[in-house]
Amino acid sequence: MGSLRLNFIICILAFTIAIFVHLNFGAKSIKFIDIFNAFWDYDSDNFDQVIIRNMRFPRLITAICVGAALSVSGALMQGATRNPLADPGLLALMSGASFGVIVGSNLFSINSFAWLPLFASGGAILTSVLVLIIATAAPSRSVVGLLLAGAAVSALCKAIVIVINLLNEESFATFRVWLSGAITNNAANTLPWCLPWIILGLLVAVSSAKGLTALSLGYETAKGLGVNVKWLGNKIFFSVIVLTASAVALVGPLGFVGLVVPHITRLIFGQDYEKIIPFSALIGAIFMLLVDLLSRIILAPTELATGIITSLIGGPIFIILVRRLL
Amino acid sequence: MSEINFRLFKNRITGRISKRTISLWFVLVLGLSATFMINIMLGSYDLTISEIVKILIDPQFKHIDSTVVWQLRMPRFLTAAMVGAMLALSGSLLQAITHNPLADPSLVGVSQGASLAVVALIVLFPNTPIEFRALAAFIGASAIATLIQWISYGKHSLASLRFILIGIGVAATISAGTTAMLTYGHINNSIAALSWISGGVHTATWVTCLVLFIGLLIILPVLVWSAYSVAPLRFSPEISIGIGSRHALHRLFIIMIAVALAALAVSVAGPIGFIGLIAPQITHKINSARPGSSMLLTALIGALMLCIADILGRTMLSPIQIPAGLVATLIGAPAFIFLLIRQHQKQKISL
Repeated sequence: MGSLRLNFIICILAFTIAIFVHLNFGAKSIKFIDIFNAFWDYDSDNFDQVIIRNMRFPRLITAICVGAALSVSGALMQGATRNPLADPGLLALMSGASFGVIVGSNLFSINSFAWLPLFASGGAILTSVLVLIIATAAPSRSVVGLLLAGAAVSALCKAIVIVINLLNEESFATFRVWLSGAITNNAANTLPWCLPWIILGLLVAVSSAKGLTALSLGYETAKGLGVNVKWLGNKIFFSVIVLTASAVALVGPLGFVGLVVPHITRLIFGQDYEKIIPFSALIGAIFMLLVDLLSRIILAPTELATGIITSLIGGPIFIILVRRLL
Repeated sequence: MSEINFRLFKNRITGRISKRTISLWFVLVLGLSATFMINIMLGSYDLTISEIVKILIDPQFKHIDSTVVWQLRMPRFLTAAMVGAMLALSGSLLQAITHNPLADPSLVGVSQGASLAVVALIVLFPNTPIEFRALAAFIGASAIATLIQWISYGKHSLASLRFILIGIGVAATISAGTTAMLTYGHINNSIAALSWISGGVHTATWVTCLVLFIGLLIILPVLVWSAYSVAPLRFSPEISIGIGSRHALHRLFIIMIAVALAALAVSVAGPIGFIGLIAPQITHKINSARPGSSMLLTALIGALMLCIADILGRTMLSPIQIPAGLVATLIGAPAFIFLLIRQHQKQKISL
C-alpha cells in the first residue's frame, strides 16, 4: 500500500503545482505573494489581485470541474459498457449535449444560464438512449457497434446544429467559439449553475464505484455478487449524463478527455474502480489545467481552443489503444 | 435470353450484361434527366419548361434566363452529378476491398485528409489558383490513406475493423488541425475555406466542371481496365491468392483509384459524407451482378442522390441555401444506422 500512498502524494503535489502555475501564468505574470493575498488578504485596489480573483480563479475552477467531470464520466462509461474505447465524445453524448443547448436556446429563446445544463442534459439523454438502442440491436461485438452508432448519431446531430446555425445567424455568433470547445473567461457566467450538478454527479459516481468494479467483471458476475444491477445502472447513467452535460454546458464539446484520463489512471492505480473514480477526477483536473496552460502558451498572445489540443493529444492515444486491443 | 454478350477491341474487353441491368441503367438515366429539368427550373428565379427548351436548343438566344441556365444552374448540376458518381464509385471500391459494407471515404479519413490539405492551401497560400486544390486534395487524401493503411496493418482477421476504428481516430486528430487553421488563419481566407468545408456544389463553375471532367477522363479507363480484378478482392486474401489474383498489388492499386476519385470529388465540392456509403448499398439491393456492370449503376445512383440532395438543399428552406453535403448527412446518417442494425441482425458483417 506504500506505493498507493506515494502515488497519492505525487498526484496531490502535481495538482497543487498545476494550480499555482495556472494562476501565475498569463498575459501578465503575477507574483506569488499577490496570488496568496488575493484569497487571504484581498485588496481591491491591487490590480494583480483583481485579475486573480475575477478572471483567473473562475477559469481555474472551470478547468478543474470540466477535467474531473469528463474523466469520471469516461471512466464510468468504460466500466459500465465494459468497453475500453468508450468516451463521452465518441459515443455522441457531447454532440447530443451541444445539440440540446442549440435547439433549446433557439426554441425557447431563454438567455438565462441556468437552463443550459438542463438543455444539455436533455440532448445527452436523447443521444445516449439512441446510441444504446442501436448498439443493443447488435448482438455481438458491441465495442464496435457502440462506436459506429456513436459516429453516426454524432454526425447527424452536428449536421442539424449547422442547419440551425445557418437559419439563425445570431445563434451562430453566440455559440461559435463554444461549439469548438474552449475554456474561456465567459464560462464563469455558467459556472454557478453547473457546479452543483457536477458535485452531485461526482458524489453519485463515487457512491457507485464499488458496484462498478463488480459490474466491470460482467453483468452476471455482478448480479451473482449481490449487486443491485438495475439501481446501479440508473445511478451510473444519471451520473454520466449530468457530468457530461454540465461540462459541455460550461465549455462546449472537448473530445477524448474522458477516454485518455481513465486509461492513465488505470496504468497507475490498477483496475479497482474505487480508486479509478476519485483519481480520475484528480488526474483529469491536472490534465485539464495543463491543457489550458498549453492553449495559452502555444500561440500567445492568442488562445488556442482547448478542444483542438485535447483532440491532438487524445486522437493518437485512441489509435494506440485500438492497435493494442484489436 | 436475358443476357447480352459483347466483345470489343479484338476480345480485349469482353462482357456480359443482363437485360435487367440495362433496364435499370435506363430508368436511372431517365431519373437523372428529370432531376436535370427540375434543377434547371427551380430556384430563386423560376423558369418554365418551354423557356428552358428554348434556351437549351438555341445557345445564341440572349436573355437573362439564358445566363441563369448556362452560367449558374448547368455547371452546378453537372458538378453535382459528377461528384456524386465519383464518391459512390470510391465508396463501392473501398467497401469491396475492406470487406466492410460500412466503409465510406468520409469514415476512413480520406475526406479529412483532403480537407486538411485544401484548408492549408487556402489559408496559408491564398493566391494559388483553384486547379491546385485538386492536387492538394489528392496528396492529402493519399497521405492519410497510406498512414491509415500502415497503422492498421497487422493481424488480418480483424484488419477491416482496425481500419475503420483507426480511420475514426486519425480523422478526429487531423480534424483538430483543420479546425485550428480555420480558427487562427486570416479571416478572409478562413471564410473562403469555411464555405468550401461545409460541402456543397454552390461554388460550381465551368472551371470546376472541367477539372472534374479531365479527372474522370483519366481515372475511368483505368477503372474499367481494373474492374475484373475487383471481383476476387471481395473474398479473403487466402481465396483471392488461391484463385490466382495478385492480391497485395491489386489491393493497393484499387485503393489508389478509390482515393483519387474521392480526392478529386472532395477538392471541388468539399467533404460530402455518406453518399459513398449508401449508393453501393442500394446497388447491392437492386442488382447483385458483377462488379463491372454494378459500377455504372452505382455511379448513376450516386449522381442522382447528390443532385436530389442539392435540389432539396436549395428549395427546402429557401431563400437560405443548405449545402448539399449537409442534406446528404441528414439523410445518410439515419440510413447508416439502419444498415448497422440490419447487418448485425443478419450476422453477415465481418465486424
